[in-house]
Amino acid sequence: MVTGSPGVRRSAAADRGPRGPLIWALGLAGCVAAASSFAYALESDVVSGQLGEPFVVAFLVNWNTAAYVLCGLLAWSRRPESRFGLLLVAAGFANFLSTLSWTTSSVLYTFGQALDFLPPILFLHVFLAFPTGRLETRLERGIVVTGYTAAISLELLRMGVGGFGPRNLLEVAPSAEIGLWALRAQLLVVGCLCLAGVGMLAVKRRRRGPSLRRTHALLVDAFALGLVMIAVLFFVIAFGGPAVLHIRWATLATIGLAPLAFIVALLHERLARSSLGGLFVDLHGDPEPFELRDALARALRDPSLTLAYWLPDFQSYVDLDGRKTELPVESGRGVTLIDRSGARVAALGHDAALEDEPELLEAVTAAAGIALENARLHAELHARLEELRGSRLRLVAAGQRERQRLERNLHDGAQQRLIALSLELSILEQELDHDPALARRLASARDEIASSLEELREVSRGLHPAVVSGHGLEVALEQLAARAAVPVRLLVTVRERLPETLEVAAYYLVSESLANVGKYAAATSASVEVVRRADDVLVEIVDDGVGGADESRGSGLRGLADRVEALGGKLRVWSPSGGGTRVRAEIPCVP
Amino acid sequence: MRAVIAEDSILLREGVTRVLSDAGVEVVGACDTAEELLVKVRTHTPDIAIVDIRLPPTHGDEGMRAAAEIRARHPTVGVLVLSQYVEVGLAMKLLADSAEGAGYLLKDRISDVKEFVAAVERVAGGGSAIDPIIVSTLLAKRRNDDVLMELTPREREVLELMAEGRSNQGIADLLVITLRSVEKYVSTIFDKLGLPSGATDSRRVLAVLLYLRS
Repeated sequence: MVTGSPGVRRSAAADRGPRGPLIWALGLAGCVAAASSFAYALESDVVSGQLGEPFVVAFLVNWNTAAYVLCGLLAWSRRPESRFGLLLVAAGFANFLSTLSWTTSSVLYTFGQALDFLPPILFLHVFLAFPTGRLETRLERGIVVTGYTAAISLELLRMGVGGFGPRNLLEVAPSAEIGLWALRAQLLVVGCLCLAGVGMLAVKRRRRGPSLRRTHALLVDAFALGLVMIAVLFFVIAFGGPAVLHIRWATLATIGLAPLAFIVALLHERLARSSLGGLFVDLHGDPEPFELRDALARALRDPSLTLAYWLPDFQSYVDLDGRKTELPVESGRGVTLIDRSGARVAALGHDAALEDEPELLEAVTAAAGIALENARLHAELHARLEELRGSRLRLVAAGQRERQRLERNLHDGAQQRLIALSLELSILEQELDHDPALARRLASARDEIASSLEELREVSRGLHPAVVSGHGLEVALEQLAARAAVPVRLLVTVRERLPETLEVAAYYLVSESLANVGKYAAATSASVEVVRRADDVLVEIVDDGVGGADESRGSGLRGLADRVEALGGKLRVWSPSGGGTRVRAEIPCVP
Repeated sequence: MRAVIAEDSILLREGVTRVLSDAGVEVVGACDTAEELLVKVRTHTPDIAIVDIRLPPTHGDEGMRAAAEIRARHPTVGVLVLSQYVEVGLAMKLLADSAEGAGYLLKDRISDVKEFVAAVERVAGGGSAIDPIIVSTLLAKRRNDDVLMELTPREREVLELMAEGRSNQGIADLLVITLRSVEKYVSTIFDKLGLPSGATDSRRVLAVLLYLRS
């Protein structure tokens, strides 16, 4: 079975998340909490005295409690592996707990008041943790931790120095001045942290760039707006600005927008399911493998979508052309593995935000199953061809190295020794000028050696053209042209040295072709052209002979075609009867 | 006469040294790399440098490049390149625009001691020594050439020997004819080929080779 690495999810959802009863119980608790808090608010002297119109405040605050709890539960049930839903639920309940300060009980009042500044920080935490539920950077964690610390510790300090009335159980030593400064510090710190949060959201949004899907962009904007409003409210309170009352209402309403935006995004996702219809139409038309990605990208509304196919024999992912590719696990993108009948087929690389729509991903990948399997086979074929091409090239190169080594051995060994031997005999011959018969025999022995050397030279040249390696194609081809059976016009427009395998292949191609001209063509002249082009080398040998050549006529030409093809090139022969012969090779050569 | 040798086969290096010493040539340096060769030529300024075309480290074109460098920097030093393959393209590359003090021979030629020493002396004296294979390859290439067809067999022989870099006297000795008749053949050949006569031995080498190659 498949093991998923971190950040990788499987398309078949394995666990179905939290159980129904727990969800229902929490949902009910949220509603009861909101309702009871609503009731205290209407009675509370704190609300009517400090926060204004009790009904409006009670509605806005408790709307937030209920909305965050319910949206959180919805998110949690849909994506149990993300902590975002739980965080939303926690924010809702913390919001409720802070309203305990509206009750008449001193204990509950003290507890609720101590948590008075907790909700804004929790909202900040929720917004920064979208969509995974985790704070991903150290900076984000720093902002949130500083926020919690400032919110709680300054609140306790303020309660310690009094000014909250008789229900405050924490009062130790009253000091109105310290209380005022602590309040200002608290407002400014939390306000500034909210603005920093807005900055972080902007950075995230910019980094995700155009790949950020529209509904998520809307959510992030709603979050940012909420944070800005919190900051504005706190600054206005700290500096005694105007219209605090209305700004507070607006702020509470804005924070309440975020769950609404979340619901809109969910609805959008449901609507998006209709884009599956388009996918079915696309798939019905038997798309070519290369069209599949675009069809999936349209269905998932993710233009950045990438597809990688799994090749079990290679134990790696490849693209459609069979080239090895890595899953984008590290880069903060989402990865969905697609299995069919227990076997891995492919992996989708997509916008991480798509992980909030597991049903859509699942539906799309299920619909595209057969098409994906086809594309995987296509990719596998390409990978195997690529592998074959590579091994052919390595075989040619290895063969050439071996022949080159043999040529060197002959050159440095037998050939040198024979020359030295012949020299020795020659010296002997000079010393023996009083015995003409013996001198003649020595001379004939030297002739034998000369013939052997001549034969060895031919063998060496067949093994490896040392002139090509040492001095390049142009020099080596001049000798071939000069030795040809018919006058040869030679044109070489290669100024630089080319890869050795290519030079050697071109040399043997010209050599074999000119030999064929001499043997079969009955030509009066021939031409050889070697032209360096943008990304290949053209080698062309043309004669004006009788034509009618085919590859079966000599194994030489077939072998050369193999060699040229192994280098990724093409060899073609035109030889109409009576129309001469044209051998043309194009061998890739990327500078 | 003083010579420097660069040859990486110790057998041949010693053989050539011995043959030259026996012939009264002073071998002032023998080495096995192109770098050492250049140093020795700079220090000794010999009359001739005898260079194996294939020298370490890559056994590619090191010997050829060293030969070209000596020809460019030390015009008084003759350069004789030895190789187990003789190629028209390499011969023309070595000569470039002058055959003066330049030689290119198949390595096998060493074993014909008399001929080899004569070639060394020619190159050291500012003449040329071009391997007969080069000349015959070029002649074979031009076998359908009308002008060359007009040459008598004797004239062709003289043309070949001339292209190898031999002097008129050398040709006369080899063909066992008088110097006077060689001179006559040479001027007839030059007339037929349409080349200006009266050049020095090595100038006419280049002229003939270029004519045959074109």
